[in-house]
Amino acid sequence: MSALPLPVALADVLARGDVWRGDTLASLPEAAISSGHTELDAELPGGGWPCGCLTELLVDRSSIGEMSLLLPALGRLSGEGGWLALVAPPWVPHAPAWIAAGVALERLVIVRAGQDVAWSTEQLLACGGFSGVLAWPGEGVSAKALRRLQVAAEGRPTLACLWRPAQVADAPSPAPLRLALSADDSRLSVRVLKRRGRPPSRTVHLPFFASIPRPGRENRVVAGPTLSLVADRGLAATPVA
Amino acid sequence: MADAEAMAAGIVPGQKLSTALGLLPGLATFERDTAREQQALESLACWAGRFTPTVSLAPPNELLLEIGGCLRLFGGIQAIVSAVAAGCAEQAYTPGWAVAPTALAARWLARQGSGALCADLTSLHAALSALPCSAPAWAVEVNGRLESFGVRQLGALRAMPAAGLRRRLGNEPVDDLARAWGEIPDPQLAFVFPERFALNLELPSRVEQAEALLFAGQRLFATLAGWLSARQLRVRRCTLRLTHDDGEASDLSLGFAEPASEEGRFLRLLREHLGRLVLRAPVEAVGLLADEVTESQGHSAHLFDQAPEGEGTLACLERLRARLGTEAVQVLLPVADHRPECASSAQDVASAGTKTPTRPASPASHVRPLWLLPAPQALSEQAGRPYWHGPLRLLSRPERLESGWWDEGEQGAAGDVRRDYFVARNPQGQWAWIFRDAGGWFLHGLFA
Repeated sequence: MSALPLPVALADVLARGDVWRGDTLASLPEAAISSGHTELDAELPGGGWPCGCLTELLVDRSSIGEMSLLLPALGRLSGEGGWLALVAPPWVPHAPAWIAAGVALERLVIVRAGQDVAWSTEQLLACGGFSGVLAWPGEGVSAKALRRLQVAAEGRPTLACLWRPAQVADAPSPAPLRLALSADDSRLSVRVLKRRGRPPSRTVHLPFFASIPRPGRENRVVAGPTLSLVADRGLAATPVA
Repeated sequence: MADAEAMAAGIVPGQKLSTALGLLPGLATFERDTAREQQALESLACWAGRFTPTVSLAPPNELLLEIGGCLRLFGGIQAIVSAVAAGCAEQAYTPGWAVAPTALAARWLARQGSGALCADLTSLHAALSALPCSAPAWAVEVNGRLESFGVRQLGALRAMPAAGLRRRLGNEPVDDLARAWGEIPDPQLAFVFPERFALNLELPSRVEQAEALLFAGQRLFATLAGWLSARQLRVRRCTLRLTHDDGEASDLSLGFAEPASEEGRFLRLLREHLGRLVLRAPVEAVGLLADEVTESQGHSAHLFDQAPEGEGTLACLERLRARLGTEAVQVLLPVADHRPECASSAQDVASAGTKTPTRPASPASHVRPLWLLPAPQALSEQAGRPYWHGPLRLLSRPERLESGWWDEGEQGAAGDVRRDYFVARNPQGQWAWIFRDAGGWFLHGLFA
């Protein structure tokens, strides 16, 4: 038996996906999907939304444009023939808008999971047949369930996103990437809470895009309701002689 | 026939029942049912269809598998033998087995429970020579004669002149010896796999918990998988028929998103179904019927081991459907209707794949929100403005969506509408799609 350690070059160690230097972002062993926004990609390890690990998106109030962050990536995945799944979405998806985003509806599965959100998400991640799984686990998801989800997502070619409320920002989570989203008048702010590699420094501000109608060119901001009350139904139904 | 525990207590076949009960007071005795034995043998033959297409029955209790042609597929004799043995153990059969180049020799060796693996004739002859003369189970008088000759082993019998043996014992034993030694051919009647699959299994005791049916189900589905493999079929829908102790039967229908033939997939789906099932009454027997079968599409295996991990999309959805219910796992299809609540319809995943998606009715230039509320939510009005977590600022011109007289008055239909839609935003930065009609302001959708 030789007492000498095996000669391992430092460069080989640093090239591993799970080892990174303190001043750079980690490179991921799995592929990353570009978010469609250069400024955001620069802040994400691997240069985009990571596949094969859990991503947590923390939103305090929904409908501030949070889906528009993911829509370009989802549209691309769907366009390549991948399956997408929405687990326990809080509202009903509106088909025309999803088509406009480039999502193939016949491969977008909506799972109304009830009490079994964590279980369903885990099954969808573990089966390996989905390119993207978005889940809304609500408040009651346990740390154990999150860990199981991260294990299920590990190494799979799946974009796995969990939508969680902003209150859990301080609670520990096994997800390797956590982002907090907020909005002000003209832009969406993305704050990286946790990522592999160099600690997050600044907040990324993104203009609203994709699914959000921008006031300005085609939409004029109007001061107030400019609508005259809709005519009485009975009157309108009377045929004009 | 006695099991290991009874044997240890000294019970042997041929004993009187009173003697046996005296030896072991707690002995449970069952009458032999040859019809059920035959049925069990046939179901085992179906199951064995996964290993080889050439299966022969040798009633009452022997099964012959011709494995010479599929050794390469399974990777050698040892591999196929252990696969068969493991499969039998899963179904709680404990067979005596042997592998030999001739069918008769294999049966004789298996009766001794030797587990002999004779790959060629030389080793076969050595193994056969050591067998006692009782192994072939010839007629009683033949055995008596052999006893009086002082011949105990087949090797010694074989060494005797055949012409003399024929005169003294008849033709059958001598011909059998020649067949076993591989000197004259011994064609077997192949088992014909049934045209339709229907198998019934009586449970040894009444079952009150649905989960406890899983074991019986495993046996049924193992047989189904063997039958499918032998007939080159796949099953799309099958029915598990539970016969209750009051004589009534209830059916559990199992549908697959795509035609399947894999036992593991059947069992995963069955486990989910049984987890949800509440038994109406204790179950006495379980039957399995293959309702819809399709031809198997042959496909090439990968040259290298590059199969994706996991079970795949449709198999996973199938299990989700089994646990959450069919209507909980759906896809949307666009509908050509201008009313937002009618613009999408939920569809079954399997049926959606076959239809070509239609284009949405509304032109792309009109903004549409990603999410709709299940029903429009009435908003209050303050200082002439709609109010939702703060006063809403209207950001677009009104878009009039109107009419729908054709389904007015129908149950659950949107009916005739006359609405002006606006994109609006509140001070928290939330984007909403609201409308105003004769009833006031309503929140209908959310941009996200």
